[in-house]
Amino acid sequence: MRLSTLLKREAIVVPLQNFDKSAIIEELLEAVSRTGQIIDREKALQALTERENLGSTGLEKGLAIPHARTNAVDGIAMAVGIAPEGIDFQSADGEPTHLFFLLLASEAVTSNYVQVLALIARLNLQSGFRRKMQEATSVDEVIEIIRQAEE
Amino acid sequence: MQSDRLISKILLFADGSEGCISAAKYGVALSIITGAVLKAIYVVNTDLLKQLERARIFVKVEEIDYERDLEEDGHNYLHHITELAEHQGLTIETDLFKGSVHKIALQQIEDWQADLLIMGELEPGSLRQDTFHDENELIFRKARCSVLVVKDTERIDQIFETLNHQSPTTTRSGI
Repeated sequence: MRLSTLLKREAIVVPLQNFDKSAIIEELLEAVSRTGQIIDREKALQALTERENLGSTGLEKGLAIPHARTNAVDGIAMAVGIAPEGIDFQSADGEPTHLFFLLLASEAVTSNYVQVLALIARLNLQSGFRRKMQEATSVDEVIEIIRQAEE
Repeated sequence: MQSDRLISKILLFADGSEGCISAAKYGVALSIITGAVLKAIYVVNTDLLKQLERARIFVKVEEIDYERDLEEDGHNYLHHITELAEHQGLTIETDLFKGSVHKIALQQIEDWQADLLIMGELEPGSLRQDTFHDENELIFRKARCSVLVVKDTERIDQIFETLNHQSPTTTRSGI
């Protein structure tokens, strides 16, 4: 499984236009919707919000992975967003968040969903990957950085 | 005590991939041909779920939910494999475990004294960073018995479908 295969061009937002948590999630969800993978946008948003209410998906080192498992999506759908200035996403280390991976998956693909989350986490352990992603200024650049990291 | 037959105990590693179903069909066919005992195992990767919880990607309730669902998936896969075997008149043993996938699979090879491990091919496009890849590669490399990685799934499917339409003699010569 490759992120570069799962990720569609339409679902990459560089730079993100919003500056608060719920608006960022909506902006990324809107990007995923453009891929045609969302069956029910409202239900998908509700699932993401409910998950966020359990605890922020803002992690450490500028990374956030808003995610939810919901049958409002067909299979696995993903969006990537870059916020060069950094956003307060209630991250675990209290630092601004620059890099967002939004992930939605239907209940039938739980195993793959868990694998993709682990894959995102592993790629982000590479400081070079995080830095390049945070500095990316175009969709093509994001695609190339992910593709190279997966080589 | 191990048998002096080349293959007497075949352990099938089911990981929930498409490839593992072809591996199951191959294992059933090989068990019929050789008379070896076949056992299928599935390991719920609770180690990975715990890692994701420690990394704060999951909250506890997600970890519990996903573990329950993955366990159900595992039971479904093992049930399907049992049905595939029974369809060919073969009775097999199955077992579901939780924990570190490669450690449990390797331990099962030892404990059950398997002399052949059968596993499915890695899915196209899998990566070194991919947990499936890691676990399968570790099992492949560290297994103390011979390992058979099943490829050419289309051909396996065709052969499997013809198995029960042939007499035992023609089946043996046909594979």
